[in-house]
Amino acid sequence: MDLVKWDSPAPMDLWEAFDGLRGELDRALDPFRIPSVAGLLDQTTAPAVDVLETEDEYLVMADLPGVDKHDLEVSVTGSLLSIKGNKKGERESEKRKIFRKETWIGSFSRTINLPAQIDAGKITAEFKDGVLTVHIAKREEAKTKLIAVAVE
Amino acid sequence: MEAKDKTGNLRTVTPACSISEDEGLVTVKVEMPGVSKGALEIKIEGNELVVSGNRSPEAHRGHYILKERRAEAFKKFFTLDDSISRDDIDAALVDGILTLKLKVKEAAKPRRIEIA
Repeated sequence: MDLVKWDSPAPMDLWEAFDGLRGELDRALDPFRIPSVAGLLDQTTAPAVDVLETEDEYLVMADLPGVDKHDLEVSVTGSLLSIKGNKKGERESEKRKIFRKETWIGSFSRTINLPAQIDAGKITAEFKDGVLTVHIAKREEAKTKLIAVAVE
Repeated sequence: MEAKDKTGNLRTVTPACSISEDEGLVTVKVEMPGVSKGALEIKIEGNELVVSGNRSPEAHRGHYILKERRAEAFKKFFTLDDSISRDDIDAALVDGILTLKLKVKEAAKPRRIEIA
């Protein structure tokens, strides 16, 4: 079983309950929502990820705009795919006036549990236009096979 | 599967952006992961600077197990005031971040008056 953060319920306070609900709704509707529940004790920022299944492979895509290819680390242990890295920003000069800041910098990590039928030897990754795409091949026996049945 | 909403449009999201100014140079950074140079459009319409870009639809050939990435297209409007020069805008797209450099007109810069 996965470890889940324990949220202790305070003695019932209606306003507090509404406050929490509003925050949860805001987070759910925020288009830049960064899923931030990664790790129980060492919480880090986790990038948004898509996992796509095709006939012969799994595709994992993560949005990592502004991350340098050399600051990115992709590894597989058993069936766990781990994406780690550091998003660097440029040093802000003292004189610079900031009008708006919606982007974030810092380290991030994301671990995804892959289905069992992957071929760990056939994994490739590419990074283009700020999107990391990891191709993970399925094992031969897990691929859909077409069996021709002769009809007499 | 094409990720379109009920009206048939691509799911458009306002991208995250940062705006800063340093000595007459306004830097605008817009995060548009997955948008290639060819799919990006930057135009000025009156007082508005419009940045839009579509993501490459390479992804739509299987079924999703997990889908957290929301945007299929990005669109962002910026209002330019009179102090910004319209003719001198620099744009660069690197690793999914569009950097626009706009210049403040000479006439709008703070002028120091020397005391004789």
